[in-house]
Amino acid sequence: MGTGTEALAGAYHGLFVFALIFLAVMVVLCLIRAIVGPRIADRIVAINMMSTMVLVIIAILALMLEEGYLADICLIYAMISFLAVVVLTKVYMGVYLEKKEKEEEEKKNGIL
Amino acid sequence: MVFFEWVRFLAGGFLLLFGLGIFAIEMIGVYRFHYVLNRMHAAAMGDTLGIGFSLVGLMIMSGFNFTSLKLLFVVIFLWFSSPSSSHLIARLEVTTDEEKEKHYRLVKLEELEQEISGRETDGCPDAGKEA
Repeated sequence: MGTGTEALAGAYHGLFVFALIFLAVMVVLCLIRAIVGPRIADRIVAINMMSTMVLVIIAILALMLEEGYLADICLIYAMISFLAVVVLTKVYMGVYLEKKEKEEEEKKNGIL
Repeated sequence: MVFFEWVRFLAGGFLLLFGLGIFAIEMIGVYRFHYVLNRMHAAAMGDTLGIGFSLVGLMIMSGFNFTSLKLLFVVIFLWFSSPSSSHLIARLEVTTDEEKEKHYRLVKLEELEQEISGRETDGCPDAGKEA
C-alpha cells in the first residue's frame, strides 16, 4: 500500500497549494478594495476581510507543515484583528467628534 | 484503511473548497454594492460561513487532536467578535456620514406605521372599516 499513501499525500499537497493560491488572490483583491474604498468604513471592512482570509491561510499552513503551534498563532491573530477594528473605529470616531465640537465652538465665537 | 483516509480527504476537501467558494461570493458582493452599509452585509458572510466551512474542513483533515480544538476555538471566537465589530463599523459610518440623505432614508416608527396602514386601506377598503 505504499503507492496509495503517496498518492494521498500528493492529493493533500495539491489541494493545499490550490487553496493557498486562491486565498492569496483574494487577499490582493481585498487590498485593492481597501485602497479604492471612498470612505473610512470601507477600508476598515476590507481590512477585516483580509484578516479573515489570512486566518484561513495560517490554518492551512498549520496542517500543511504539520506544525501544531501555528493554530495558536491563528487564535492570537483572530483576537488582534478584532482589537484592531475596535481601536480604529474608536479613534476615528473620537477624532471626528472632536473636530465637529471645535467647529461649533468657532461658529459660536464668530456670532458673539 | 487507505480507503477511509481517502473518504476523510474528500469530505474535508469538499468543505474547504465550499468555504473558498463562499469567500469568492463575498468578494463579488463587496465589489458590486455601492455603499458601505450594503457592503458590510456581504463582508459578514465570509467572517461566519466562509471561515466556518473552511476550518471545519481542515478539522476533518486534521483528525481528533489539539490542533482541531484550537481551530474550533477560532471559529467560536469569530462568531462572537464579527457581529460586535460590524456594529462598531456601522456606528462609525452613521456618526461620520455628512450627507445621509444621499445614501439612505431615515424612517421614524410612527411614519412607518402610518405608511403601512395607508397602504393596507388602499389595497382593500373594507378591511379598514371593519377594524
